[in-house]
Amino acid sequence: MSNTPEKPLILVIDDEEALRDGCRQVLEKCGYAVLTAEQGDEGIKLARERMPAMAFVDLKMPHMSGMEIIEILARDLPDIVLVMITGFASIVSAVEAIQKGAYDYLPKPFNPDQLRALTKRGLDHRNLKIETKKLKEEKEQMTKNFITFVSHEMRSPLVVIRQYIEALKEIAGDRFDKDVREIIERCRKRIQNLEEMVEHWLDISRIENGTLAQQKASLSLASIISRSVEEMTPLCKKKGISLETSISKKLPQITGDAESLVRVFTNVIGNATKYTPNGGKITVKAQNDEYYITVSIADTGRGIPSDKLLLIFEPFFRCGGKNDKQSSSGLGLTFCKKIMESHNGSIAVSSKEGEGTTFVLTFPASINTSKNNSGQVC
Amino acid sequence: MTIKKKILLIDDDKDFLFATKLILEKGGYEVFMAEDGKTGVDMWKSINPDLAIIDMMMETWGEGFSVLNKIRATDTGKETPLFMLSAVDLQGPYNSFEPPPEFPKVNKVLHKPIKADDLLRMIAQELSGK
Repeated sequence: MSNTPEKPLILVIDDEEALRDGCRQVLEKCGYAVLTAEQGDEGIKLARERMPAMAFVDLKMPHMSGMEIIEILARDLPDIVLVMITGFASIVSAVEAIQKGAYDYLPKPFNPDQLRALTKRGLDHRNLKIETKKLKEEKEQMTKNFITFVSHEMRSPLVVIRQYIEALKEIAGDRFDKDVREIIERCRKRIQNLEEMVEHWLDISRIENGTLAQQKASLSLASIISRSVEEMTPLCKKKGISLETSISKKLPQITGDAESLVRVFTNVIGNATKYTPNGGKITVKAQNDEYYITVSIADTGRGIPSDKLLLIFEPFFRCGGKNDKQSSSGLGLTFCKKIMESHNGSIAVSSKEGEGTTFVLTFPASINTSKNNSGQVC
Repeated sequence: MTIKKKILLIDDDKDFLFATKLILEKGGYEVFMAEDGKTGVDMWKSINPDLAIIDMMMETWGEGFSVLNKIRATDTGKETPLFMLSAVDLQGPYNSFEPPPEFPKVNKVLHKPIKADDLLRMIAQELSGK
């Protein structure tokens, strides 16, 4: 049930009876419900049971200090607004209280106006905080719903259109002339590109909201690279580009998801093939130092103009603009960047027009897996 | 005159049925279509096809599996090749689906959209292997 029609509940924890009564009178007059406690443990118990919206806590009390109470309440009741009442208003203790989760502090002696103003401000702050949290949750839910929507509602018509085109192609052979078959083939390619774009966009959205299925395990980057190179060799051969590798034999293991890493490498190599002319060369080199493994993928292609270099990881950016003859979703490198980030790695690019482009992928080396699993030392 | 082999298509997407029918007819098969699981099972019994292609996800998730179970339970359905079709997005909410161990035999799982020549090749392989 919602608490909104009820009076906001305010807890005052102070060992001074006069102060407790004073606060109660002022706050009750303002229309709030008030609870009071003389001591820390009693106050904490009350707070856990009644979940007040706001609590005023005296810093200096026998048994349990206000600082401790604030720490406990901030941990137990995440939405509570805590105010430290302090008799000796030192900045040091105020800062400490705020670090421990207090919203503000109120130096003694204070007058009813100050108490009322701070209470109003504190409750407004709480409402905003709760509202923000709700909006954030709603936004996340919307992203999730949208992903589900795209993956089901948008893909199914695409699938059907592609199936029709397959059927057309199958029967076109003897019924249509060459021009018509050419049109069918072009439609097929464009639809396929659209489908890939939807796929890539989905992948990126999933990385962003953490729902991409990645199975991280300790793995050898050398085998990932050779798998990717193997996959790309036929395309390179077809385009008359030589694909060479030079991989250090002592590469340490990394922690990662094999499938998405293969996609990163085939993506970057695939990109290189698009912009490297017949007779060109793509070189994949992997080496490491104590902490990092770096893999460079260098081509002898036409290079990327320096003003565009910064933009190539941006979604839907294409070097050649709309007239780029190369079919691409404009999301391949964005995907690579996100995957590298999800592996605590990075991807960088350098290029010289007319000479070629080099992508450098950096991975943190995992010294040994058990160490990695036991958490990071910061 | 050779008798055409019969293929039963079960899918709740009319367009997908029609497109696939065109491909299969071009491949020289006689094609029967059912738009829901129940009709599919009934047609199975009445036409006795040489192969059936069943969509995994029809009105409800798993509908295709119940069709598969019912067909496998018929006398003629024990050995006939059955293909399952899926447009299920493997990264999506259904990626955790795992068929139970006693799951009836599926000869092939095909992913939508399916290339015409791949489809015809796989069907030919399956039917000649008998």
